[in-house]
Amino acid sequence: MNDGPLIVQSDKTLLLEVDHERAAEARRAIAPFAELERSPEHIHTYRLTPLGLWNARAAGHDAEQVIDTLLAFSRYAVPHSLLVDIAETMDRYGRLRLEKHPVHGLVLATTDRAVFTEVIRSKKVAGMLGEMLDEDTVSVHPSQRGNLKQALLKLGWPAEDFAGYVDGEAHAIALVEDGWQLRDYQKQAAESFWHGGSGVVVLPCGAGKTIVGAAAMAHAQATTLILVTNTVSARQWKAELLKRTTLTEEEIGEYSGARKEIRPVTIATYQVLTLRRKGVYPHLELLDARDWGLVVYDEVHLLPAPIFRMTADLQARRRIGLTATLIREDGREGDVFSLIGPKRFDAPWKDIEAQGWIAPADCVEVRVTLPEGERLAYATADADERYRLAACTPAKTTVAEQLVAQHLGEPTLVIGQYLDQLDELGEHLGAPVIKGETSVKERQELFAAFREGEIDLLVVSKVANFSIDLPEAAVAIQVSGSFGSRQEEAQRLGRLLRPKADGRTARFYTIVARDTVDADFAQNRQRFLAEQGYAYRILDAADIGKVVD
Amino acid sequence: MPTPDAPRTLADQFRNWPDDRVAALLEQRPDLGVPAPLDSAQLASRAVVRVSVVRALDLLDRLELETLLAVIQVGPAPEHEIAAVLAAEPASVATALERLAALALVWGTTDAWRATTVVADLIGLPTGPPEPEIDGLLADIDERARTILDHLDETDAAGTVADARTPVRVAGASTPTEHLLARRLLMARDDRHVVVPWTVRLHLRGGRSTRYPVDVAPELADSERTAAQIDRAAAGAAYEFTRRTEMLLEAWATRPPAGLRAGGLGVRDLRAAADLVHAELAATALVIETAAAAHLLAQGMNDDLDSAWLPTDAYDAWAARSTAERWQVLAKAWLDNPRLASAVGGRDGDKPVNALSPGLERSWLPGDRRTTLEALADLPVGRALAAGTGTASLVARLRWHHPRRPAARLDLTPTTLAEAAALGLTGLSGLSGFGRTLLAGDDAAPALSDLLPTPVDHVLIQADLTAVAPGPLEQEFARRLALLADVESRGGATVYRFTVDSVRRSFDSGWSAVEVKDFLASSSRTPVPQALDYLVDDVARRFGTLRLGAAEAFLRSDDETALTELMHNSAAASLRLRRIAPTVIVSDVPLQVLLPRLRELGAAPVVEAADGTVRIARPDEFRARTPRSHTAEVRADVRRAARTSAVVAAIRAGDRAAAERPSRGPARAPADVMSLLREAAETSAEVWIGYLDNHGTSSERVVKPLEVGGGQLSAYDARTEEVRSFAVHRITEARLAPAPE
Repeated sequence: MNDGPLIVQSDKTLLLEVDHERAAEARRAIAPFAELERSPEHIHTYRLTPLGLWNARAAGHDAEQVIDTLLAFSRYAVPHSLLVDIAETMDRYGRLRLEKHPVHGLVLATTDRAVFTEVIRSKKVAGMLGEMLDEDTVSVHPSQRGNLKQALLKLGWPAEDFAGYVDGEAHAIALVEDGWQLRDYQKQAAESFWHGGSGVVVLPCGAGKTIVGAAAMAHAQATTLILVTNTVSARQWKAELLKRTTLTEEEIGEYSGARKEIRPVTIATYQVLTLRRKGVYPHLELLDARDWGLVVYDEVHLLPAPIFRMTADLQARRRIGLTATLIREDGREGDVFSLIGPKRFDAPWKDIEAQGWIAPADCVEVRVTLPEGERLAYATADADERYRLAACTPAKTTVAEQLVAQHLGEPTLVIGQYLDQLDELGEHLGAPVIKGETSVKERQELFAAFREGEIDLLVVSKVANFSIDLPEAAVAIQVSGSFGSRQEEAQRLGRLLRPKADGRTARFYTIVARDTVDADFAQNRQRFLAEQGYAYRILDAADIGKVVD
Repeated sequence: MPTPDAPRTLADQFRNWPDDRVAALLEQRPDLGVPAPLDSAQLASRAVVRVSVVRALDLLDRLELETLLAVIQVGPAPEHEIAAVLAAEPASVATALERLAALALVWGTTDAWRATTVVADLIGLPTGPPEPEIDGLLADIDERARTILDHLDETDAAGTVADARTPVRVAGASTPTEHLLARRLLMARDDRHVVVPWTVRLHLRGGRSTRYPVDVAPELADSERTAAQIDRAAAGAAYEFTRRTEMLLEAWATRPPAGLRAGGLGVRDLRAAADLVHAELAATALVIETAAAAHLLAQGMNDDLDSAWLPTDAYDAWAARSTAERWQVLAKAWLDNPRLASAVGGRDGDKPVNALSPGLERSWLPGDRRTTLEALADLPVGRALAAGTGTASLVARLRWHHPRRPAARLDLTPTTLAEAAALGLTGLSGLSGFGRTLLAGDDAAPALSDLLPTPVDHVLIQADLTAVAPGPLEQEFARRLALLADVESRGGATVYRFTVDSVRRSFDSGWSAVEVKDFLASSSRTPVPQALDYLVDDVARRFGTLRLGAAEAFLRSDDETALTELMHNSAAASLRLRRIAPTVIVSDVPLQVLLPRLRELGAAPVVEAADGTVRIARPDEFRARTPRSHTAEVRADVRRAARTSAVVAAIRAGDRAAAERPSRGPARAPADVMSLLREAAETSAEVWIGYLDNHGTSSERVVKPLEVGGGQLSAYDARTEEVRSFAVHRITEARLAPAPE
């Protein structure tokens, strides 16, 4: 009997025993083709998916290698059907190739005529293909490059894109490494992307994705369009680029609700691009406003559907996607694969934490009991009111105060969902509140003050979930959230994970009302965090102060 | 061995054969022995019945078939002449002839082998023009005709024509086929088919009946795989198949799928099953069909008395055995299953074929399966079929061994191989060690169990509320854990997830929070995470806050004193009253009884709505009866052996009767017959009689008369080896038999 660290399950999950002496070796070997699904303390779960296998193919691995790896590390015999399935799935990638033909422009070519015939007869690709050039080649309308790739993926025959990219308008960009250096994994990420042409870089929150974006720009040496989630994030990108690269204020434009600047490097928000008036997207022309050499998509997992459609038309330009997770709550991972590109780089959260680039975190769930009166109100409330009632119980305010008092002097964020609750907390704690209606200017000032250490307590709504850099935040107290979304959890935790000057462990408190839907959502959160490998403790509200430290 | 004296007829030859040789013939061609032939003459005439001969021909391999053809064409001829036209070593030809003789397809001696006429009719070729003329005839025909001739020759096929028998003259020939027919380069086999005649075939093939040596079976295309690799892969598949069977039947025990009215399992149920076991539809159909063949699954009734597919009571016994033993049951069932599981999911005409539906039986299937795997067993240990070309070479080899097997059956070879791989008889296209053992009829379980993961007795519990068992769990332990947690992923390991519902389930079946925690602590190699403790406590806190019970009737009153009084009334003791709240009493005595008794006690109750009772439904597992096995092999074998020897004895007795048939006038007159029989009874002599039975069939037999009277002869019949009575008026002839040598 083999004594490997890996157990291959018939449902295509791989269980990796972390404490096994060959675990690290096995992890490195399977990482290219298997997606890490959960990483709790003893056994990590990876999953084999068609996309994952195709990502591996795109990165130059073949089925033989994958199967050999599984056989080499597997503790038990590997189900035969699974091996067959892997070989067949991987074999599907690359049968079709998008190429540039010297005479006919964009063509779809094949090495497998049967597949080719099946595909070109499919209704899904109707209208995307032009005339047959020979038995193995068909011309493709250049405008359909993206749509065709999407359609082929849906048919199960993803095409490899060899058609190349336009260089775009050249523009000198270089990194200025004064007092800081590109970290190894950031460098690798940018290089993997550049060699792959287009694709997605997966890095945890706080691992410096903006810098990977900047490094990619330095590779491209061309005008760049950066798409981000919101205006605050756009400003942070700008600040970061000014600090890290040779770009000057005049070279970077912001294209948002407030300003419409188009400059060699333009940062636009998803919101403004997807703004729709009378059935048309008036700001779409931005995409063609310049001859962009690179398009950067920040937070790819949030990319809205209209942007996908626009991206389908941008297939001749290099694209880099940046994200903390490939999991999309809408299940459109396949579109990310075919339109932006395969995964080019991936570094697990824990690895980067181990290298000291992000702070370790301690997650604590504090349970409060609803007072009797509230319990009755809760029990008789409508289903859609229940969460609000449970999440906003005044009992949480008391606990939040206790926690803030306990961590007095440490930069602390109080995060919540409901504005009334936030206002009330702000009042009780005597802290400024940042919410949706807070002006951008005011927000920036408050964030700046927090960063500088002038204030150490902020009450924030979900506006702070994304792309706001608050490196010094060491304590987060979450009082309510949007129904236990895993993504939100990742983002909020991400706020805390920037490495602290003194190497402190970050603390992430979640206050939960016992025996309510709030606690049910907390289960999801607990599962997510535990799956990510974070220590997770549960505390009774009454025990605060006794146990901490 | 053929005797040196040349037999005159086939029957003559049988008479001279030793008993074991006749027995061997009856073993190989069992249809000859049913019903028992009267004597060697009848055996000989049965041996040349067309249907029986066709069956015998199917037993031949390519060498034997070619040898037989040569005997037909050149016989009666001595062995060396036959060998001369075959592209084979003389020794192989001798062996082939020996087998053909043993099968009674040819007879005679090594000096003059001859084929039976019916064999010649079935596979013989027309003789064709004399050898010296053929060159000339070939030179005479044009290119198109030559192409046709070469094609028919290369494929050994018969050409179809509109009318093969019409004589054609060379002068009148117009089409290439007519040219060939006119020159007898092609000749009619029957009205519509033409073949290349024997002499032309020999000429075209350089004097031998085939171009290539016919005494060597085609080699299998193989590649190197270590035996360990093969066994490991096969054991993985075997484990998987057994697990899938168990998982499916376990699920069907509580939620049985309906049986279709036309028989079989609905497509939707098959899909659901495929989702459950994580397999393709075809693989799932194989699991289901094999379970049914192993009598683990059968049609029975569900709760509503509708027809449903249920695990049988044999399943319980099966489930209690070790994985390797369970696998062996399934593998044997598959080997002997006559049902074509691969047809499931296809269409029969316009009707989809459902799993378990009737009409999938193919009597030849178990035999074909065995021959396929046995051909694979020809590969030495450590070799496996080569990827790509391997299967094709296996088909070629099977075609050599079974040249008359229809192509449609050989086409199933890849399917059979795929099924064998799914079952784990093979791994990486090579026959596994334990598969070999099983095919040989030995116990394969010990060899397999060494390869299977060893059962573990612990799990690893993690903070995300999962428990991972890093190997198969001991059965009792697995059952307890499955009560406490839901299974999330299966395979070599099992992943369990603890949820509020799953923990509650264990409380439902009587565990306490302490027991749950103790069990977790004792079963986990790692400290039980705090979150799980909280989960158990949370569930425990809420568990039982609501109380539920069954009662036939309730009494309630706002007057607590009245209820207390009733509880203390000794006359009310038989009413089995129980106070569950100050103002509520329940009783398990029905309302109809309770009401008059309460009135007798002087109370004046009012009946409330009568539907206040609660019932708890407990899901039952269902079992169907195990179908009686029709394949009690051992007993069948014993019976067959007994029958064969009985048949041989009967034939021998018949032979003697025939040999002793009187050549001169026998005793025919009833009076003479009577006196002869009486005399024989007194002297205990044997008598030869001709007898006409109830059906008008005449037979001849030698009997030992015991008593004559009342128109009946009571005598010991050597043929049936028993004492029976004969009607004297039906005895046509009688004479004294000489005492046996």
